[in-house]
Amino acid sequence: MKPINRMKTEFLSKSVNESFARVVAASFAAQADPSIDILADIRTAVSEAVTNAIIHGYPDKEGIVVMECILYPDYIEIIIEDFGKGIEDIEKAKLPLYTSRPDLERSGMGFTVMETFMDSLEVESEQGKGTKIRMTKKLVNR
Amino acid sequence: MDISFSRDGNTLVVSIKGEIDHHTAAMVRERIDARFLMEPVKNMVIDMSGVNFMDSAGIGLIMGRMNRVSSVGGKLSIKSPKPQIKKLLKLSKIESIVEM
Repeated sequence: MKPINRMKTEFLSKSVNESFARVVAASFAAQADPSIDILADIRTAVSEAVTNAIIHGYPDKEGIVVMECILYPDYIEIIIEDFGKGIEDIEKAKLPLYTSRPDLERSGMGFTVMETFMDSLEVESEQGKGTKIRMTKKLVNR
Repeated sequence: MDISFSRDGNTLVVSIKGEIDHHTAAMVRERIDARFLMEPVKNMVIDMSGVNFMDSAGIGLIMGRMNRVSSVGGKLSIKSPKPQIKKLLKLSKIESIVEM
């Protein structure tokens, strides 16, 4: 299916950019006039994916996070990519309540939230090269 | 982000206004824990009516405060979360262990 619109942005892995990313993604999705609930789900899932990139992709240094949003007639695809540490075991990372950063009081619910709030979730990761999260969400009109 | 406190008997009432994510959670955690230590209380109510966004960082924040309050024999309650936050609390099963 041919996209009807597309945007791409990149930002430093600073935690203050979590709110920037979720607001930008939801604003972009809003042009399809989805319900407020759908926009809220997108904001939450993007926040989780970007936080993951910041905390786990770049635990010891700053790096670049790229966010791409592709709008199709009835759904949106959102890709969040970092070029940092990578995930050693994706299946383990996706387990509810699993966290590699208990020091940050992380709940380990990030991937569970993304999977639940979006319609699809794919994770690609290579150690030392980074992680790419691809999510889609149907945009049913109000 | 705005956090205000009041006391109702032996309960600390924490009112949070703003967005809870990984960026803001550490500051919220520090302010709540410092106040909980200062006040002669054992229970905590977190009023979330002013929280317009929360992701899983908020779940970690709530679970951490629940552990803290439980360690002194108290109870934690969550008051007036918005529907999207309720959805997140339900997913994390917090609503089965924290009074809502």
